[in-house]
Amino acid sequence: MATMESWDQKKHRKKHSGPKAEKKKKRHLQDLQLGDEEDARKRNPRAFAVQSAVRMARSFHRTQDLKTKKHHIPVVDRTPLEPPPIVVVVMGPPKVGKSTLIQCLIRNFTRQKLTEIRGPVTIVSGKKRRLTIIECGCDINMMIDLAKVADLVLMLIDASFGFEMETFEFLNICQVHGFPKIMGVLTHLDSFKHNKQLKKTKKRLKHRFWTEVYPGAKLFYLSGMVHGEYQNQEIHNLGRFITVMKFRPLTWQTSHPYLLADRMEDLTNPEDIRTNVKCDRKVSLYGYLRGAHLKNKSQVHMPGVGDFGVSDVSFLPDPCALPEQQKKRCLNEKEKLVYAPLSGVGGVLYDKDAVYVDLGGSHGFQAPEEAGPTQELVQSLISTHSTIDAKMASSRVTLFSDSKPLGSEDIDNQGLWMPKEEKQMDVKTGRVRRKAIFGDEDESGESDDEDDGEMSEDDIDDEEVEEEGDADMAEKCMTVRGVKRQKLEELDEDSEVDVPAFADSDDDLERSSGDEEAEEADESSDDEDSAAGGERSVSDPKAVGEGGKVGLAAASHASDHLNLGKSLPTKNVALTTADSGHCTAEEAFGSEDESEEGSSLSSQEEGSESEEVPRGKLAEPSQAGRRWTPGSENLASETSDIEDLLKEEEEYTEEKSYSTETSGALKWKEDLSRKAAEAFLRQQQAAPNLRKLIYGTVTEDNEEEEGDPREELGGLFRVSQPDRGCKHKADSLDCSRFPVEAPHDWDLEEVMNSIRDCFVTGKWEEDKDAAKILAEDEELYGDFEDLETGDVHKGKSGPDTQIEDVAEEKEELDPSAEETAKKKHLDKKRKLKELFDAEYDEGESTYFDDLKGEMQKQAQLNRAEFEDQDDEARVQYEGFRPGMYVRIELENVPCEFVLNFDPHYPVILGGLGNSEGNVGYVQMRLKKHRWYKKILKSRDPIIFSVGWRRFQTIPLYYIEDHNGRQRLLKYTPQHMHCGATFWGPITPQGTGFLAVQSVSGVMPDFRIAATGVVLDLDKSIKIVKKLKLTGFPYKIFKNTSFIKGMFNSALEVAKFEGAVIRTVSGIRGQIKKALRAPEGAFRASFEDKLLMSDIVFMRTWYPVSIPAFYNPVTSLLKPLGEKDTWSGMRTTGQLRLAQGIKLKPNKDSLYKPILRQRKHFNSLHIPKALQKALPFKNKPKTQAKAGKVPKDRVRPAVIREPHERKIRALLDALSTVHSQKMRKAKEQRHLHNKEHLRAKQKEEEEKLKRQKDLRKKLFRMQGQKDPGKKLKAEEDGQTRRRPSQARSSLRRRRSRAGSTRRSCVPPSRQETVPGLGKTLSTAQGILRPGLRWGMAVG
Amino acid sequence: MATQTHSLSYAGCNFLRQRLVLSTLSGRPVKIRKIRARDDNPGLRGTTLYYQPGLLYGGSLEHDCSVLRGIGYYLESLLCLAPFMKHPLKIILRGVTNDQVDPSVDVLKATALPLLKQFGIDGESFELKIVRRGMPPGGGGEVLFSCPVRKVLKPIQLTDPGKIKRIRGMAYSVRVSPQMANRIVDSARSILNKFIPDIYIYTDHMKGVNSGKSPGFGLSLVAETTSGTFLSAELASNPQGQGAAVLPEDLGRNCAKLLLEEIYRGGCVDSTNQSLALLLMTLGQQDVSKVLLGPLSPYTIEFLRHLKSFFQIMFKIETKPCGEELKGGDKVLLTCVGIGFSNLSKTLK
Repeated sequence: MATMESWDQKKHRKKHSGPKAEKKKKRHLQDLQLGDEEDARKRNPRAFAVQSAVRMARSFHRTQDLKTKKHHIPVVDRTPLEPPPIVVVVMGPPKVGKSTLIQCLIRNFTRQKLTEIRGPVTIVSGKKRRLTIIECGCDINMMIDLAKVADLVLMLIDASFGFEMETFEFLNICQVHGFPKIMGVLTHLDSFKHNKQLKKTKKRLKHRFWTEVYPGAKLFYLSGMVHGEYQNQEIHNLGRFITVMKFRPLTWQTSHPYLLADRMEDLTNPEDIRTNVKCDRKVSLYGYLRGAHLKNKSQVHMPGVGDFGVSDVSFLPDPCALPEQQKKRCLNEKEKLVYAPLSGVGGVLYDKDAVYVDLGGSHGFQAPEEAGPTQELVQSLISTHSTIDAKMASSRVTLFSDSKPLGSEDIDNQGLWMPKEEKQMDVKTGRVRRKAIFGDEDESGESDDEDDGEMSEDDIDDEEVEEEGDADMAEKCMTVRGVKRQKLEELDEDSEVDVPAFADSDDDLERSSGDEEAEEADESSDDEDSAAGGERSVSDPKAVGEGGKVGLAAASHASDHLNLGKSLPTKNVALTTADSGHCTAEEAFGSEDESEEGSSLSSQEEGSESEEVPRGKLAEPSQAGRRWTPGSENLASETSDIEDLLKEEEEYTEEKSYSTETSGALKWKEDLSRKAAEAFLRQQQAAPNLRKLIYGTVTEDNEEEEGDPREELGGLFRVSQPDRGCKHKADSLDCSRFPVEAPHDWDLEEVMNSIRDCFVTGKWEEDKDAAKILAEDEELYGDFEDLETGDVHKGKSGPDTQIEDVAEEKEELDPSAEETAKKKHLDKKRKLKELFDAEYDEGESTYFDDLKGEMQKQAQLNRAEFEDQDDEARVQYEGFRPGMYVRIELENVPCEFVLNFDPHYPVILGGLGNSEGNVGYVQMRLKKHRWYKKILKSRDPIIFSVGWRRFQTIPLYYIEDHNGRQRLLKYTPQHMHCGATFWGPITPQGTGFLAVQSVSGVMPDFRIAATGVVLDLDKSIKIVKKLKLTGFPYKIFKNTSFIKGMFNSALEVAKFEGAVIRTVSGIRGQIKKALRAPEGAFRASFEDKLLMSDIVFMRTWYPVSIPAFYNPVTSLLKPLGEKDTWSGMRTTGQLRLAQGIKLKPNKDSLYKPILRQRKHFNSLHIPKALQKALPFKNKPKTQAKAGKVPKDRVRPAVIREPHERKIRALLDALSTVHSQKMRKAKEQRHLHNKEHLRAKQKEEEEKLKRQKDLRKKLFRMQGQKDPGKKLKAEEDGQTRRRPSQARSSLRRRRSRAGSTRRSCVPPSRQETVPGLGKTLSTAQGILRPGLRWGMAVG
Repeated sequence: MATQTHSLSYAGCNFLRQRLVLSTLSGRPVKIRKIRARDDNPGLRGTTLYYQPGLLYGGSLEHDCSVLRGIGYYLESLLCLAPFMKHPLKIILRGVTNDQVDPSVDVLKATALPLLKQFGIDGESFELKIVRRGMPPGGGGEVLFSCPVRKVLKPIQLTDPGKIKRIRGMAYSVRVSPQMANRIVDSARSILNKFIPDIYIYTDHMKGVNSGKSPGFGLSLVAETTSGTFLSAELASNPQGQGAAVLPEDLGRNCAKLLLEEIYRGGCVDSTNQSLALLLMTLGQQDVSKVLLGPLSPYTIEFLRHLKSFFQIMFKIETKPCGEELKGGDKVLLTCVGIGFSNLSKTLK
């Protein structure tokens, strides 16, 4: 009932839209007789006429202002054609539902369910978009790092609880490091019982979110959960939002390359680890490159670890590629890929099945392999690996000779081959398989794969047995490489060509420089290829090994067979480390050498190897057939390369005569210069030659110039010989001029003609020749119609059109001719229109449009320039472009990084620009965060996050005074910006930063202490603090005084001659000249006479040095579970607290209650005589003035009745009698008293007289007894008078001094005197008597 | 750990300027060893130099250059560094303005400055003024160079050199007869007139204090094209007391021929400034820059190598054969993607 009533009470609402409303509006207009016109401007134009030109102008200005305000500075769009996956950071406080959301999203996009998510997960979310989803916990380190790489932040908020501090912290971090897209997601909405409350909460949270991000920011609501997951529809909607979202480029991200690693491998030589567990590691990191182009050998920073030089970069096939064809509407199941090696999906290393099987139980999965390989694991790994090396070395020849299907040509091809890795989706299990396929399979595509799949089913047993039996497949590939190397060496010896620099094809050279610059181009490229081949070949059986149980069986079989007594996990590890074989070329060399020395280990393995080989043969043909079948086009190109190679060899046959020892420095150089000369003359071959001339022969590492390069490069290469050749010119003249070596004879006509066209007088190009352009114009614009007269002017048409015209006139009946003419006419018209359109559009263009157009043109050029080149070449020129899946090798990584690896923590590699790796002085504008409760103290270590880095440093805060002086601040101001400067890594100006006091643990309050921006990068400013020097007068003349105690020597005084000094009481003065007598004393003149008690001081400014302390936060190196406990240098306050040291305050600095004596003034007394003499006006008016009595106070006169008058008269008479009586009585009493007094006096006198006589008698008697007593009594009386005399004289003096001072000191200064006095006394308190500097800062 | 690999090491005194300039711009320390190690008189106190770069400050400066090398030797490095200072550079250089070894101040003024303008380094204060002329061996010249500061550079696309529309020149003479300059002009014109009529060669005879300490004369020629490219050639007389006397007629004629050689080489940047153009392309934004050059000089080739080791940047080099057109010799098209350099010295206000 109640509800019914409430419904009834609701007011009627008018319709504002829809047919009903429109009808009404129309009727209303008709009522007003305005017709149908709705637009008021048209209906009533007069109302909108210009009333005031000024207002018009203003409104115009305003609209223009608003328009311009919307403009952003146009930037060149540098996003690559195939962009990297978008980084989606899922952030929120604990227990808010982050993992659930990620799982739901992954399931939504890929139909797969990941049980445990660790580290980033990359998925294909659409035809053109991939996502890398990563979870962000509440560790502030992680929050800072992820905010720097995030493209989109999903900010989860527990609606039942409201916003939590982490959310705001993260928002602030995002704000500082470029604002990525932020989308809020409200969870736990099912905890609300009442709908109204829910609505209210949603609204409240939404508006708070809007104030933080921007009004209208998207906030998603995830209502209730079903079976522990969010509702499908809601997740689907969220997914849609993410997939279609657009992003704004962020400055820092677009200007720096960076990588969010999704895979990490330890490549350290196991031997090194065995000898020293704590040795620095060599690590490779995998991930999509983002941001800008990454150059090889550049500097990177790994937040939480430190700075590293990239030792090598290589790009890999995309593990989570976008679908190839774009025609369909949506993705099919095969294309819905997911890649998360750290979570055990998609990667080779952390392959789900393999790990499960090999570790023999689910508990093995609990301990993540990469997290911390235990000691014994490492040990066993070492032993395995060394045997493999030995084996490989010993067995290579055997294998080569035995494997007939692998002919020598095949091996050669194998080296040049680059197998492709393709991700495949197993439809049944939903797993992603990593399959190695080769060039020929590229075109045949799916069918081949299927065939392979079938075949592999059959071959599995054989292959597994064979390959696993071989101890390792890696070994095999290494062997192959070893063989090839040998073969190449032979080849070198045979032909004695100096192939390295010139005989190779273009591409090979490019490939080479990435690997080892010092190596000869040909060889190195071969190496790399073979290494890559090696990896494929390893991954191949691996893919097979995914077959679960079969793999287990095979593995166990293998272990039995080998009888090496190794545990299964070891085996797995060995396999995985070998998997990254293609980067361990150096290791391979090393082991090769070892084997040549003849290691005893190998012999045992050799036996088993030889046993294995015949059995391997069985499986070999099929495998080889699959692998080494020549590709259709790739092979063709390769063979053509080889042909080129041969051709070029022929060209330089004469060089063959150089033996290895004669191809020394000089010869090389001659060769070079000759070729360089030729290069300019030749045409087609010149291009690669010129490039080789410049880059091909130069090694990157100039350090290698020294010493014997042969040793460093494994005794194979002699590339640094040309460098030696360069040494001849190393000391020659440094001049940029390019002298003409072979001048032409400019008198000859043909020589002169050779540059004829360089001048405007020469012949012009087709499109620029004035005559031609004119003719074209004629053709295009020749005929026109005069619209007024209707005349048609025909232009001079070309010969063909003329003929047509004629034809048109003659054969008007011919329909075809007419049609063509018409068509031509239409064409012409269209062209004209296009021209006009283009011109018209451009005519309106503003500066902004021009700029935008320019940027667009540049972006097009950027894209087009290297488009036609293959990736290998492109990488050389532009570096590794964003979007590539790359593998980055780092050396000298602290072992803790590997030992304490936690996949939950993001590993980021941030590229550093030029000089960004350097450390220097940085100045910034800083503001304490308004939510941070404390103020910051100068010289307290604090942690900054600037650029990629997080580091601890000691900042000094300063503020600029009005005169430009930078004054040191002890503390940051509360609500104001101040300057801060510290010694730390150089980061470009304009970079935002934030500061936190500690990154360890959880603090109850807001953690971000300050934010700001980098302003300057050198030590150009001078921060100063106030310094007061004090001295004391020791001799005072009239206005001149001699001051001592301020300086130590005459030299110091000389430096301060003319400086302004002052006394505490405010007498100003100047330093004049040094005195000879006490060292450091000087003569100074003042505006008044000083007192000896005065203190003289001088105010100076003392420059402060910035402490050079820079300590990177190495939170990733902390042990597992303690990553958020990094604590660096402690503040003095913290130290004092920890040590229990109490600071002893200066007594003078303590505040005491001020006790003031009450001043008492005596009443003014004017002597009577003086009063009499005074004129009237100055006479003290003691009696109060008789003012007018107010009327109410005036008593009315009493008029008595006669009767009353009688009574009154009687009473008066009576009183008169009485008073008379009393007076008489008084007189009588007075007389009586007098009488009495006189009598008493008489009596007294008599008594005294008597006493006197008696005393006289007594004294006389006493005096006769001792004579000295009387004299002493007299003296006592004199001394008692003296102190009082002294006191009065002092008082006189004081009053005089006070009055003089008051006269010379301005009133304002007078007030400051007590304060200064205090400071000074403080200063003096600090000083020991022997010290010369009195210092008081403040 | 990182600093170890960070620094570069070289041997020999050649290309010292390149190394120091690139080291300064890239922030990588450089070590140069074996500087004239074999010489009895190496000219230095030691044979090893370690250079740790800082940030460039700029401001008003004066410097007395050595008279053994021209001011051009110093200016070339300054042109590379000046746009990246903290404060705009305003420097007075004293020494030899024109000699036979280094590009003279006249040529740099006529060619390098327009080149810098292409990169967006421009403004009122951008100038190179020759206050006094000084010839070797005495020197005594004075040059004022001022350059504004830039945060970023524009990428360039200089692929069309255009056609030469005019030739300008400067015939200077100090402490010799002023007639010398006129004689040079006449002889140079006699050759160039066959190609183009628009030739004007200024004569510049400096007197008194402005004429330096040694006598000499010379000619510098600049050809300007329709697309704003400047090609230059120059020749100076032998320094007093060295070599035979040079006839001004011969000098003029030879210089004109040198200009024709330079035109034959062609390109959008003349041979002395090749390295400057390439450096500024490298230091551009992360955009593609292209430039068409004539044959690369040895200095440029070495510079390209240095660019690779300091900035890891490699140029795409395409040879453009001369073909049928009568436009001189082969050209080289160099393409690169800038490293996204930004001026770290400039203060943010």
